[in-house]
Amino acid sequence: MPERFVGRSVPRVDARAKATGEALFPGDFSMPGMLHAKILFAGRPHARVLHIDTAEAEAVPGVVAILTAKDVPVNEYGLQIPDQPVLCGPGSSKPGADVVRFVGDQVAVVVAETEEAAARARDLIRVEYEDLPVITDPFEALKPDAPQIHEYRQPSEIHPEIRTEGNLICHHQIRKGDVDGAWSQCDVIVEGQYRTPPQEHAYLQPEAGLAYIDEEGRVTVVVGGQWTWEDQHQIAHALDLPPEKVRVVYPAVGGAFGGREDMSVQIVLALAAWKLRRPVKIVWSREESIIGHCKRHPMWFRCKWGATRDGKLVAAEVQVVADGGAYCYTTNKVLGNVTVTCTGPYEIPNVKVDVDGVYTNNPPSGAFRGFGAPQAIFAAEMQMNKLAEALGMDPVELRMRNLLREGSLTAMGTPIPGGVGLVEVTEQCALAAGWRRTEEGWRKPEAGGKRQGAGSEATRKRGIGIAVAFKNVGFSFGYQENCWARVELRGGAEIEEAILYIGTADVGQGSHTVLRQMAADALGVDLERVRLEVADTATSPNSSGSVSASRMTFMAGNAIRGAAAKALERWRAEDRPAIGEHTYLAPKTTPFDPETGYGTPNFAYGYVAQAVEVEVDTETGQVHVLRVVCADDVGKAVNPRLVEGQIEGGVAQAVGWATMENFIVQEGRVLTDRLSTYLIPTALDVPERVESIIVENPDPRGPWGARGMGEMPFIPLAPALVAAVHDATGVWFDELPLTPERVVRKIAG
Amino acid sequence: MLPEFELLMPRTLSEALEMLTQAREGVAPIAGGTNLVVDMRGGRHRPSVLVNVAGLEELRGIRRENGHVVIGATTTVAELLEEPLIAEAAPVLWSAARVFANPLVRNRATVGGNLADASPAADTAPPLLVLDAEVQLTSKEGSRWVPLDEFFLGVRQTLRQPDELLTAIRFPVPPSGAVGGFYKLGLRKADAISVASVAVVVEVGEDGTCRKARIAMGAVAPRPIRAYEAEKLLEGRVLTPELVAEAAHLCAEATSPIDDIRASAAYRKHVVEVLARRLLSEERR
Ligand SMILES: Cc1cc2nc3c(=O)[nH]c(=O)nc-3n(C[C@H](O)[C@H](O)[C@H](O)COP(=O)(O)OP(=O)(O)OC[C@H]3O[C@@H](n4cnc5c(N)ncnc54)[C@H](O)[C@@H]3O)c2cc1C
Repeated sequence: MPERFVGRSVPRVDARAKATGEALFPGDFSMPGMLHAKILFAGRPHARVLHIDTAEAEAVPGVVAILTAKDVPVNEYGLQIPDQPVLCGPGSSKPGADVVRFVGDQVAVVVAETEEAAARARDLIRVEYEDLPVITDPFEALKPDAPQIHEYRQPSEIHPEIRTEGNLICHHQIRKGDVDGAWSQCDVIVEGQYRTPPQEHAYLQPEAGLAYIDEEGRVTVVVGGQWTWEDQHQIAHALDLPPEKVRVVYPAVGGAFGGREDMSVQIVLALAAWKLRRPVKIVWSREESIIGHCKRHPMWFRCKWGATRDGKLVAAEVQVVADGGAYCYTTNKVLGNVTVTCTGPYEIPNVKVDVDGVYTNNPPSGAFRGFGAPQAIFAAEMQMNKLAEALGMDPVELRMRNLLREGSLTAMGTPIPGGVGLVEVTEQCALAAGWRRTEEGWRKPEAGGKRQGAGSEATRKRGIGIAVAFKNVGFSFGYQENCWARVELRGGAEIEEAILYIGTADVGQGSHTVLRQMAADALGVDLERVRLEVADTATSPNSSGSVSASRMTFMAGNAIRGAAAKALERWRAEDRPAIGEHTYLAPKTTPFDPETGYGTPNFAYGYVAQAVEVEVDTETGQVHVLRVVCADDVGKAVNPRLVEGQIEGGVAQAVGWATMENFIVQEGRVLTDRLSTYLIPTALDVPERVESIIVENPDPRGPWGARGMGEMPFIPLAPALVAAVHDATGVWFDELPLTPERVVRKIAG
Repeated sequence: MLPEFELLMPRTLSEALEMLTQAREGVAPIAGGTNLVVDMRGGRHRPSVLVNVAGLEELRGIRRENGHVVIGATTTVAELLEEPLIAEAAPVLWSAARVFANPLVRNRATVGGNLADASPAADTAPPLLVLDAEVQLTSKEGSRWVPLDEFFLGVRQTLRQPDELLTAIRFPVPPSGAVGGFYKLGLRKADAISVASVAVVVEVGEDGTCRKARIAMGAVAPRPIRAYEAEKLLEGRVLTPELVAEAAHLCAEATSPIDDIRASAAYRKHVVEVLARRLLSEERR
């Protein structure tokens, strides 16, 4: 297929509208006769709702309805298992729905003529709670005598890794080779314990939406999300409606990063509009957003890795405990990813991994860019950097001796899918960052520990570090990955207009621009002729899947190619309009074997290496990131400028996670529920130099060779940064974030 | 949500002072609103009447007058940065303005509002303290000048009476030999509340002895404070590294910081000592 648009940095389809303010986000929509909704959140981490008295609240002028648990037809939802009540309280058919399990559980929805009336009434609802014991430490939660946070647990047929006993959400394990017997073959053994913190998505736009009954009688929800089809089905389930009666539309979405994969305002908005037959709008404040949606999983790692003197990895043993918070969300899948990635992108003959996800009364943990890989790769790459030190070997050299290559066996005992770019990204990153390839192997540049300036400046030290990562593209573990698209060609002798129907969300990453480029080339038409009809279940009734797992370019590109080929065939057969519809099915994957973890969990991966240069003020503990080099194997950059945007954005977000984002939860209560206490990087905190190296090593199954990349640039940053800080100071940091105070304490010993 | 309130728009200072006197309980002046509106949204402050002083001509402008630099109370932080007189005569204040909030807030935030709000972390306070600044409080009855150091009473408490406005800030133009600096340690490079801040001004004579020393610190006590003991130690002596280290230690001793989600009290004390030592050492060179 000739490449006229694929590979070019064409301007984004939404650039103009977003720059001029014309683009409408969910909070920007209004309708005549519209009502306003406010949510009463639980505000306490664990309690039984005994009674809800709405009398006083209902008397507030302008209040139209107050909905509670008894008003929800099927009071449950959840992306993996329906373990969360839509509204917590008595009178619900679902057992256990009367318990609130974290501060952000929703108890009532107040609908009123004005926002003020809704807020006033919300504050007048009297809820009688019986407080229950609060468990916030996952290790405590795992103890046999710990109170059970979910009393009525059901086994899941589709997700056998989900457990039903105690507070264990799920367990994954790998048994490859003989770890216990392998330690004797190791010349060096490194043991480490690591702890990674939660992270708030902090997307620009807090949750918002508008629901109404459309001209075809469907309850329609205009909202920000990541997967229209799945939102539609979860709403339909809770409202006990056939999916055709529910419509989900995404306008411009103000960022997602995984945080919009699970429901927030969708079901309650639909419920209110359906019951009241009037448009209902809601806009969450930042504080509501921060307590109301999931976080990156905090994790605890215990690692023991061994290698021979010449740097060949022999064995790795890893135990992981992840705090899943109050509900499952995607914990089982996130931890599947952790299982795959926690021994790094290396070929290791003996592997033993145990991963537990645990319920607590903390805010739920769920999807966040990297989906478990940033945490797992942090532990793995910390181990590798410490091993390099213990072996007296250059960290790049050590990696070169162990990286997965074509045909290498993964920890799951099966070959890594073809088109493996690990050696290339590592080499290119290392060379650009100043490493040299010598007769004796790779040599690190001499930044380490060097003091800067004189006088007081002598306490500023520089260092450099590197890390490498891989992560799956697309859904894993036996889920039949699929993506639907439809192409409609109009015109007479030539194609005048090509309409692409697809259910994908553009959450700011630029996916619609890329889909259009691919459609133009798949059809051989000019870009201007391709019109997008996207992110509306009314026009795209089938599933195109979630914008997550770095999957959309890969999956949608293949779906578009299929649909385009069929449409062109009909075009040649003189159909007007000529229509082609296609559901792309990715190669099959398999679940882990429950005992050994054996299997082929993924059909494609992305590969990335990063080098980070820092300056550490050893007296104040401030860490400044001076430079980041990121080499990312994207297979084919469909739009190079958008790839660079993802690299720069991913780096900024990961710098935040590694150095300053400090999400504090005490006894289940969020202390950092605003952006003045939960600090994310500003323009001044983003590293001045981010050098993007785009590596194009085609994925054999990717459209035009493209593989996914949206998550990759986040993943290796934290361990590379910690290695750089170690290079500067000689101190290892096993816990994030590297706040100045933590750095000073550790340096002082 | 913002609670309801009445907004009064005086055209002159005397009108404003009249409004302050007339109003019932719960009146508050509003300038940039960058503290007040946030506090009202969060329910921490519920004034029922706001008197907008931002447009008052009498409260604007930066000028040199009788050996003083006089800053109108509604001068914005952005205006401090643009005014050459500040950069030349009071680089310590200019440096604080540089790291204040973010460009948007700097365009609205006023110096008067920063001082009247009396947060322990107010960033213009330590530089103005080391400049020996005074604030002018004006009511219908007249005006009085109060040393800034006496103006602050405690956390968000000042000498200002409800019917008074802060109308101006003034400090003597420092002699040409005076040098100083300001450093704010926040948890990121912009738009972060100070974990600790230190301002220093010293005058060193031809013979190398310190004639006058002023050191002030933010976010390490219920109000912005001076380090009197350290100042006394330095005055009349040569700023050797040993003396500077000792003075920096006295600075830390003078603090009474708190533990909060940003930092521990111990870290704040530690940082104050580091920053004071660095700022004083830089002045030595
Ligand atoms: C995002 C953000 C970042 C910030 N960063 C910083 C920072 O880095 N450093 C810092 O120090 N502060 C910071 N602040 C706080 C605030 O911006 C400053 O304190 C600012 O100087 C307040 O001035 P204002 O004119 O906005 O005061 P307002 O909010 O209008 O008033 C503050 C208080 O002072 C009173 N007041 C105002 N003017 C007068 C007057 N003339 N006479 C008597 N009383 C008066 C008001 O009644 C009120 O109680 C920040 C605020 C925000 C929102």
